[in-house]
Amino acid sequence: MPLTARISSLVIDSLCDRAQEDNIAVAGLYCDFLSQQEQATTNIIGALLKQLVNRGGIPDHLREAFQKAKKEFGGRVPRLADLMGMLKIVIASLPRVFICLDALDECLPKYVPEILESLRDIVQESPRTRIFLTGRPHVREDVQRYFLDAVVIPISPNPDDIRNYVEMRLDRDSEPEAMSNDLRVDIVRVILEKISNV
Amino acid sequence: MRWLSPLEPNNRHQGVRTERFDGVGNWLLETTEFREWRYNEGGADKAVLFCSGNPGVGKTYLR
Repeated sequence: MPLTARISSLVIDSLCDRAQEDNIAVAGLYCDFLSQQEQATTNIIGALLKQLVNRGGIPDHLREAFQKAKKEFGGRVPRLADLMGMLKIVIASLPRVFICLDALDECLPKYVPEILESLRDIVQESPRTRIFLTGRPHVREDVQRYFLDAVVIPISPNPDDIRNYVEMRLDRDSEPEAMSNDLRVDIVRVILEKISNV
Repeated sequence: MRWLSPLEPNNRHQGVRTERFDGVGNWLLETTEFREWRYNEGGADKAVLFCSGNPGVGKTYLR
């Protein structure tokens, strides 16, 4: 599993752990090469909306929009503008919303500007909203085009993380009798050396 | 609810968190940048935190 996804899940969990005390709402989404077609901006915005309204029943304005769409075209899919309108209302009704979007660069490139623009719209409407993004270094420019003051933290494999991971995997080895202490030390050492050369 | 989006991010999150092993990335939560983003009341200009990195670690990195 990608490192950034682990980081995103950690951030989402750490936010959710204190959601009640801190009076915040959290919505998070993992983008993935394998389902690029599904990750159209409308579906992403819709998924965020879905998570945020899951908290407390379906609000009336959303129910009405759905009924209306159903009548109009036998249940046509909502347009981005509709979804954004609904999402903004929901966010404005909550004390503070955190949105996490993992692996932005795994969306189809044509959607990235639209997604960022939508997020910027949300922040302009509700300036207390916080947005957590991850992605390969090349999307940094895209992010900064829409969020000039975005804070960037570089993520790289951390030797401690790797050591912990390798040791965990060795502990779970299905044939522990094939392992000696020397071999174990060697495995950890060689892997860490290789990492430092990356 | 499916009308809003076919995506089910909660399922994916459950999958990721069960595979995530303890301790990875905890350093991030301790950085000043993260803490300011998380706890400060900053306005729109302080809204975004972007973690930039190549996704590979573990198998893909070691190959």
